[in-house]
Amino acid sequence: MALPISYHWRNLFVRKTTTALTMGVVAAVVGVFAWMLGFSAALDDSLSVASDDRKLIVLKPGATAESNSAIPIEDYNRLNQLTELARTDAGSLQSPEMLVQISLPRLRDGGRTAANVAVRGVTETAFRVHTTVKIVAGRTFNPAAREVIVGRAAAAQFAGLQIGSTLNLGYSGDRGYQIVGHFSADGGPLESEIWGYLPSLLNAYNRTMYSSANLRLRDGADPKAVIGEIEGPAIQLSAQTEPAYWQEQSRNIRTYLGIANFLVAIMCIAAVFSIANTMFASVAGRTREIAMLRTIGFSGGQILTGFVIESVLLSLIGGLIGCAGTLAYLQLAGSTKDMFGSTTFTTLAFDIRLSPLIVAKALGLVTLVGIIGAAVPARRAARVQVVNALRAE
Amino acid sequence: MTISYVLMQNLRRNRLRTGLTLVAFALPMAIFVAAISFVVALVELSAASQKELRLAVHQKTTITNMLPEALRRKIEALDPDRQRLTAVCGMRWFGGRVPGEQNTITSLAADADTFPIVYSDTNLTDADVAEWMRERRAAVVGQAVAERYGWKVGDLRTLTSTVPPYLSLEFKIVKIVDNPTRQNFFYFRRDYLQESRKAAGSDDPLCNVFWIKCRSAEALRSLQKDIDATFAHTPDETKSEDENAFAANFIQAAGNIPGLMQAMALVVVVIIALVAGNTMMMSFRERTRELGVFKAIGFPRLRVFIIVLGESLMLALIGALLGVLPTVTMLTLFPLPRLNFGPITQLRISPVAVVGSLIIALAVGIAAGLWPAYQAMRLRTTDALRSVA
Amino acid sequence: MSAAEIECIDVRKVYRKDRIAIPVLDGLNLRIAAGEFVTLMGPSGSGKSTLLHLIGGLDSPTGGSVRVGDAQLERMSERELTAWRSRHVGFIFQMYHLVPVLTAAQNVELPLLLFKMSAAERRERVATALKIVGLSDRTDHRPNQLSGGQEQRVAIARALVTDPDVILADEPTGDLDARTSEEILTLLNLLNTEFGKTILMVTHDPKAAAHGQRTIHLEKGVLERDEVMPRKTVAAASA
Repeated sequence: MALPISYHWRNLFVRKTTTALTMGVVAAVVGVFAWMLGFSAALDDSLSVASDDRKLIVLKPGATAESNSAIPIEDYNRLNQLTELARTDAGSLQSPEMLVQISLPRLRDGGRTAANVAVRGVTETAFRVHTTVKIVAGRTFNPAAREVIVGRAAAAQFAGLQIGSTLNLGYSGDRGYQIVGHFSADGGPLESEIWGYLPSLLNAYNRTMYSSANLRLRDGADPKAVIGEIEGPAIQLSAQTEPAYWQEQSRNIRTYLGIANFLVAIMCIAAVFSIANTMFASVAGRTREIAMLRTIGFSGGQILTGFVIESVLLSLIGGLIGCAGTLAYLQLAGSTKDMFGSTTFTTLAFDIRLSPLIVAKALGLVTLVGIIGAAVPARRAARVQVVNALRAE
Repeated sequence: MTISYVLMQNLRRNRLRTGLTLVAFALPMAIFVAAISFVVALVELSAASQKELRLAVHQKTTITNMLPEALRRKIEALDPDRQRLTAVCGMRWFGGRVPGEQNTITSLAADADTFPIVYSDTNLTDADVAEWMRERRAAVVGQAVAERYGWKVGDLRTLTSTVPPYLSLEFKIVKIVDNPTRQNFFYFRRDYLQESRKAAGSDDPLCNVFWIKCRSAEALRSLQKDIDATFAHTPDETKSEDENAFAANFIQAAGNIPGLMQAMALVVVVIIALVAGNTMMMSFRERTRELGVFKAIGFPRLRVFIIVLGESLMLALIGALLGVLPTVTMLTLFPLPRLNFGPITQLRISPVAVVGSLIIALAVGIAAGLWPAYQAMRLRTTDALRSVA
Repeated sequence: MSAAEIECIDVRKVYRKDRIAIPVLDGLNLRIAAGEFVTLMGPSGSGKSTLLHLIGGLDSPTGGSVRVGDAQLERMSERELTAWRSRHVGFIFQMYHLVPVLTAAQNVELPLLLFKMSAAERRERVATALKIVGLSDRTDHRPNQLSGGQEQRVAIARALVTDPDVILADEPTGDLDARTSEEILTLLNLLNTEFGKTILMVTHDPKAAAHGQRTIHLEKGVLERDEVMPRKTVAAASA
């Protein structure tokens, strides 16, 4: 027979202030942790979409990203000799693309700062290579008109991207393009972009070169072999699989998360000590009660479990408060976040959300903190000397 | 024996609790002092850049669209008598990498003639300037960059550009700049870049940004307005920003580390306040009867208040020192590897941050002790004597 | 070497718990002469401790007057009472109530921190007080290194060190064995006879009460019996 949960529950409320303050410590730590997990998950979700390793991104050797790559048309045409590309009736899935940027005000700070949003010039083929892209509102652009479509993450985070408004693009920023639709890309990085018709944008930006080529390989093709062929003497371009490309682009964001992780880890240790402190006080204050429980037949192990349960209960409530706090913060202060890729100046926009999985992870950490924090005090409780304790004042 | 002696003895009463509290206080405090140092460094940097009175002029849509180098003449023509500006320096992004390295160095080609004036914070001596003007391949390098790659003045080094046409250029380092504002930069002469580009078949004399050294803050603001108005509705529409606004665009996108640090600092203050408050409440509760004795003996209310508050203050102060001192010592003895967050290249613990941390700790100590101290003061002696610990 | 007379006239004390008034003392009249050693007996809840607290200025009466020497306690503010206590009253408790982190000497010194006094003078007075209670060889011991009887002696020294007019003791032997109790009571007798302190002691133990000159029996908040103790018991005890 174990002690009923209600016994532990009520004990928490015997020392209201101490319990509340300790819960506060746990809540603060968990709140930060949950935010960080949310961020990390948003990044992973976004990048996991971009993890199709049969998609290759071809750049000019020396370039680090699509935004600083320039592929002359004749170089691009050398890609035609590739045999491992997927094909449809309209031809092989090889999409010439161009990438420029436009500085747009961030909505979350009222336009005080601006972000560099990618503008991608594409052709029909792009929609067959980037299969995740789907129009979710309005329609796609008409190649004959000055029209663009906007990714839904970009539309949510930057000003002036509603359907019907006009964006000034072009080298001198004097060509008005009408926004005619919004698209999704399964939450991937493409959702942070603006797409328009390649020849029209090349013209607007006085460009004669593409930025990149995006390729889709046929089923069963070996990406490594194809990359080798592209980088070989016959083509002399460089290529990466989509996951490798985004892994590299998110390197700095991971450093950022690493720092945040480190800080949270230190604060977790502080929380462990804080809980230990509270539990020691609880054990000390209840020595006679523990002795009484031992006298009527509870084992040391049961007493130990009891204190661990109490500590975990306390931590879990603190954890829930922390998650609720983060949720409220995201609601009130906004959940959007955007960052540069490490070598591009192009923005990757996220929406930080607390999924049930993240809350579960945060509560998992909290349980661990509660158990570690209670370990030593609970052992002390289990070793209470019955006779001495009953005699003690 | 004095009252403060009694306070110290009280902290030693429950060593376990004091120890746990001190650790739980010191760890967040260590984060706090580091985070605040970071914020302080940024504030100092931004104040320093503010003093430089530099205005950035770039293409309106985005900095990656470029402006013709002839724009420099047009800007200079706005102030022919040099009433408001001293010099204009055109710059073009090179984005060089040391061959075989992943990291792109913030490397820019700058107009040779005006660079020493506009970037007076590089502290070039007359001899340095002479060398810069004489040597076409001259490069002025921030200390952080130089240390990362082990470069010295006089070295010949090659960087490969990450922008078309991906030139590999050889530079001669003529100066290593130790000013905190210029740690992470690599400057070289734009005429050298232009020549090399021309040789590679791209003859396009363009700039990403024109930096204008202004004579006063008012001059900066009026130039900002005039320049944007002058080029509005031309093919080269501009956007002008002061140096801090310009940098803010990058800091935001580079993850807003200062924002993260500020948030962490805030969370830390909350945590330590709760930790200290918790301990003070526990120790107050256990000592109710003893405080009753103090009152029975004839200690006035204020004394009792001070005894409890003083203990809290002492606890907070020791906790803060335990967190701050090791952090300062560690970071001084073993500096972190070079950071790369915007302009901050190294986490140095500033005295301002240390003092700030101690002040915060004291404030937290007072806040945490206030309620128990008030309770202790209001304690009814007869109840306190009867209470069971 | 001072003493004070204690006079209670029609003292009433009512506690309120929730909304119910609980009378503890109900019109009590009492006079204790300067230099008298009086013991206070009565069943639990008869108001013994309350009376002790009122005379010690720890609590104020609901009605009536309490005078100790020249001080009319019911007219004094809490601040005045606090200051008065520090000079005129010494308390001794059943559970000693020593500060566990301080040594015996430091515990005794504690009340002197409230006086404007040089450290040397304080040391001297602490030494004298500890000598009187016979603990000169235990000055640097902590309470947990002392026996119960020794702890109570330290508490007596603490009550004594400010040279108060009145010593109030609440069951000082309640937690001690018979032999040690006798030692403590003899010490109180000594304070009374040698130093002329007025002493009021609450006790359950008739043997302890026999050390006083007079025993007052309380019952339900009123004086039930006032009994003069035979002198010979005192003499026998101090013999």
